[in-house]
Amino acid sequence: MRIGIVCPYSFDVPGGVQNHVVDLAEALIGLGHEVSVLAPADEDSPLPPYVVSAGRSVPFPYNGSVARISFGPVSTARVRRWLARGRFDVLHVHEPFALSLSLLAVLSARGPVVATFHTAMTRSRALAAAQGVLQLVMERITARIAVSALARKVQVEHLGGGAVEIPNGVAVAKFADAEPLPGWPGPCGPGEGGTLGFLGRFTEPRKGFGVLREAFVGLAAERPGLRLLVAGPGDVAELHEGVPEGLRDRITFLGQVSEPDKARMLRSVHLHVAPNIGGESFGMILTEAMAAGATVVASDLDAFRRVLDGGRAGELFPTGDAAALRRTLASLLDDPARRTELSASAREVVGAFDWPTVARRVLEVYATAIEATDGRVLDEEWIGPA
Amino acid sequence: MPGMWWVLGVVVAVVLVTAYLIWIASRVDRMHARVRSATRALDAHLLRRAAAAAVLAEERYALELYAASRIALDAEGDEREAAENDLTRQLRSSVLDPEEPVAAAVIGASRRLALARQVHTDLVRDALSLRRRPVVRLFRMSRKHERPRYFDIDDPTLNSRPELSVG
Repeated sequence: MRIGIVCPYSFDVPGGVQNHVVDLAEALIGLGHEVSVLAPADEDSPLPPYVVSAGRSVPFPYNGSVARISFGPVSTARVRRWLARGRFDVLHVHEPFALSLSLLAVLSARGPVVATFHTAMTRSRALAAAQGVLQLVMERITARIAVSALARKVQVEHLGGGAVEIPNGVAVAKFADAEPLPGWPGPCGPGEGGTLGFLGRFTEPRKGFGVLREAFVGLAAERPGLRLLVAGPGDVAELHEGVPEGLRDRITFLGQVSEPDKARMLRSVHLHVAPNIGGESFGMILTEAMAAGATVVASDLDAFRRVLDGGRAGELFPTGDAAALRRTLASLLDDPARRTELSASAREVVGAFDWPTVARRVLEVYATAIEATDGRVLDEEWIGPA
Repeated sequence: MPGMWWVLGVVVAVVLVTAYLIWIASRVDRMHARVRSATRALDAHLLRRAAAAAVLAEERYALELYAASRIALDAEGDEREAAENDLTRQLRSSVLDPEEPVAAAVIGASRRLALARQVHTDLVRDALSLRRRPVVRLFRMSRKHERPRYFDIDDPTLNSRPELSVG
């Protein structure tokens, strides 16, 4: 199948949507399809061979942060040229309601269009003001995918029309084969040692680092050798806030890590902790930790419970409860058999999120969109071996 | 000459209005063509699922499932929705192991059917909302197209994993 994918955000800055697009494109290529990705990128930035640059992007405030996008007559011309040259069987756009390449592509497309909604906030204010344009865009999208239950809810309630929920994939092999960092995770015996991991923006209250910090400070005082490995954007001073002087050297801060280092970091811990107190629509980090074979301890949020198969693939603790987290951590650190059991079920459960599996689901949506556009009914075999 | 300008203005306005009407009419035609395609695809996936279910029933000597799939294959018109829902219920009460090829075919066919149903429903809704527009009704742009109908069946997804569900 010839597949055209449009990514609205620039590859010059890392981001969830960009990673999703790259992983999806690679998984589809791996299944034997021809894929071209159109994305904004600076002329001299290194790009994978299947990415076509739509030119320089401009910073644009969007959904509380700054995204780099391309929009305007020059971009429109490039989108049209790319569409004409690609002769795609299906066009797959991401976040079509942001003012971006995706929107331009939807408006220029003639054939079947599949759209993926990532965030819960996908409707730009400019578009909300123009109901007619919104309707026009919706009409051109044949099939819709939402990456989480929350994104799907917003899609159904605010935009009208259904959406298929297909979760974010995770490149299981990349995580499962990573080498742990030298010297980690270290010893973990009864009553002493052990390494906890946290990954993410620890300054952001919703990520719940405060809950983990409280549990860690309490537990570290009575458990010699307990260490905490943290990766994410932010600075050390903020990380150490509220941690007694004597315990600070037991926290190792890696700063913001690259994708390969993230995999290594997740392989370097005994327990990976996701203490989020809300706002997490899917829980990408959990699937990554599961793929890396880390034992996961996560707050009991709906999204997390679903990903962890109701607690079979990771231990859940009451959201925001530092004392409960501390008890859970202490008992798991002293129970290697239980850790092995959890991590084994995690590897099994995460198979459903592996990119090739997820990409096959996406291919089924492509086939359905093509059928609804030209009436051909496609064989199962055509979309790739099961 | 003011008269000239007036004429020119009217000509421009007529051209613009005509272009708009042609554009709307082509949207109406395109939407209906898509609904027809989606209906054909939905029909094909319904037949495919019923056939897969019949094969499963034959292999297991499951009489009720076999009857439900035959009825679904033969049902026409208004009976069809109820027959398909019956088949969904029968399949839900059967044990389906994805490792078993015959059962996997049923699970796969049900998943494709769920997608086809979703897309069909969305297209019918878009087409109906287009038909309700005053300008479309005034110029009777949809007169050459049959009025699209919803195909109202329960979600046929069988897979129990909630994170991969369709709805």
